Amino acid sequence: MTGCKMKPHHDMGGDSAGPIMPDKPDDPIFAKPWHKRVLGLTVAGGAMGAWSIDTSRFWRENLPKADYQSFSYYEKWLAALTNLFVARGFVTREEIINGLPSGPKQPLHAAALGADRVLAMLAAGAKASRPEIAKPLFQEGQKVRTRLPDATKRQMPGHTRLPHYAADKIGVILFYHGHHVLPNSNAHFLGECPEPLYSVEFSSADLWPDGHAGDVVIVDCWQSYLEPMT
Amino acid sequence: MPHDHHDEDAHSLLPSEPALRVKALETILVQKGLIDPAAVDAIIDRYEHHIGPQIGAGLIARAWSDPAFKAQLVNNTDGILSDLGFGGRQGEHIVVVENTPDCHNLVVCTLCSCYPWPVLGVPPAWYKSDAYRSRAVREPRQVLAEFGVIIPPEQKIRVWDSTAEIRYLVLPMQPAQSRGLDESELASWVNRNAMIGTGLPQPPAKT
Repeated sequence: MTGCKMKPHHDMGGDSAGPIMPDKPDDPIFAKPWHKRVLGLTVAGGAMGAWSIDTSRFWRENLPKADYQSFSYYEKWLAALTNLFVARGFVTREEIINGLPSGPKQPLHAAALGADRVLAMLAAGAKASRPEIAKPLFQEGQKVRTRLPDATKRQMPGHTRLPHYAADKIGVILFYHGHHVLPNSNAHFLGECPEPLYSVEFSSADLWPDGHAGDVVIVDCWQSYLEPMT
Repeated sequence: MPHDHHDEDAHSLLPSEPALRVKALETILVQKGLIDPAAVDAIIDRYEHHIGPQIGAGLIARAWSDPAFKAQLVNNTDGILSDLGFGGRQGEHIVVVENTPDCHNLVVCTLCSCYPWPVLGVPPAWYKSDAYRSRAVREPRQVLAEFGVIIPPEQKIRVWDSTAEIRYLVLPMQPAQSRGLDESELASWVNRNAMIGTGLPQPPAKT
C-alpha cells in the first residue's frame, strides 16, 4: 500500500504549538458533566474485553483528521467508542441513527461490567507484561537506531507507538522492561506478539536543531522498532 | 484509500451537541444490556472522589521521611504499590524517576495522553492538550518556564515520553524548608504538577 507516509495527526511531538494553559488548583476534575460520563462508558466498555487499550488508541488516532483536530479530548473518546461498538457488531448504524435500540430492553450481557465488579476491575488493571520468551537482543548501554514508524506497522493504516520525531535516530538502551504486548499487532486483533520493551534515551541535540546540550528524551520502544548499530 | 469511508463513520451519525451525543450512545448501550449505568456511576465516583494526586503525594512524603521506603518505591515500585492497594488500571507498570540537583524529570505522552492514573487520578486538560504534547519533548525548558519553573542550564532535563504501558512518576527533591516536618505535613507540600515534573514542591497555602 502506498500513501500514509505523512506524519499522522495524533503524532505531534515536536510540532510548533501555542502556549500551554495550566489549570488552577480548584478547577474541577471534569470540566463538564458529560466528560465523566464518557470516561465511565469508555472504561466500562473496555472492561467487556471485546477490544484492548491498543485497539481503543488506534480508533481514536484513526478518526478523520478534521474530527481529531476539532474534537475535545472526551469527544475523541466518545467517537472512537461509538465506532468500536458498531465495528465489533454490538450496535448497528441504524440504532445510532435512530437513537434507539432495534429491540426490547435486554438483560445485562454476560461480558458487561456489573457495578459490583468495578472496584476489583480498576484495582487489578491489565498488565501488558508477558513471560520472557527469548533473551533480549539489546543490552542496557547499547547504541541502537530506530526504524521508520510505517516500517513497524502490521497493516495500513496501522498502529505504532514509535513517534516520528524519534524515527531513524540513534539512541542508547537505558532499561529493559521485559516482554510486553506489541500494540502494532494487538490493536488490529493480530495477536499479542510480546516483545522485549526498552526505554531508549536520545540526546535532545540529536532530535532537534535547537535541542539543549545535555538534555535527553526517553522513548519506550519495542524491539522491532530498533536496529543494532554495526 | 483507507480514509475514504470516514464520511460515514458511525460517530458522525450521533447528535452534534456532545452532551446529547453521550446520552444517545448510553441510552442504546444500556437498553442493549452492554453497559450497566451503575457501573459507570461507580467508575466516575472512584476517579472523582477517591483516586487522585493525594495518593501520589502521600507516597512522596513517605519516601522523603523514610529512606527504606524510598528505596522500595524506586526499586520495587509495582510491588510496593500493590501491597499498599495503589496499583491498578493505567498504573500497572510504574517507574519512579527521581529529581536531583543534576537532573530534572518531565513526563509527557506525545501520542495520546498516558498518565499514571492510580497515583495521580485522571490527567488535567493541559496534559492532554496539543500544545503540551507537541512542545514538551522539544522545548521542555520553555514549557517549564510557562509553569513558572526555571531550570538552570547546567541541570539536565530528562523528558519521558510515555509511548508504552510504562507510567512515570516524578519523585521531586524535598525542599530544605520542609525538613523535620512529619509525613502528613510533608504531603501537603507535594502538588500534582511536581509529580509530573511541571512543578516543584511548594509550602501549603496558608488557610
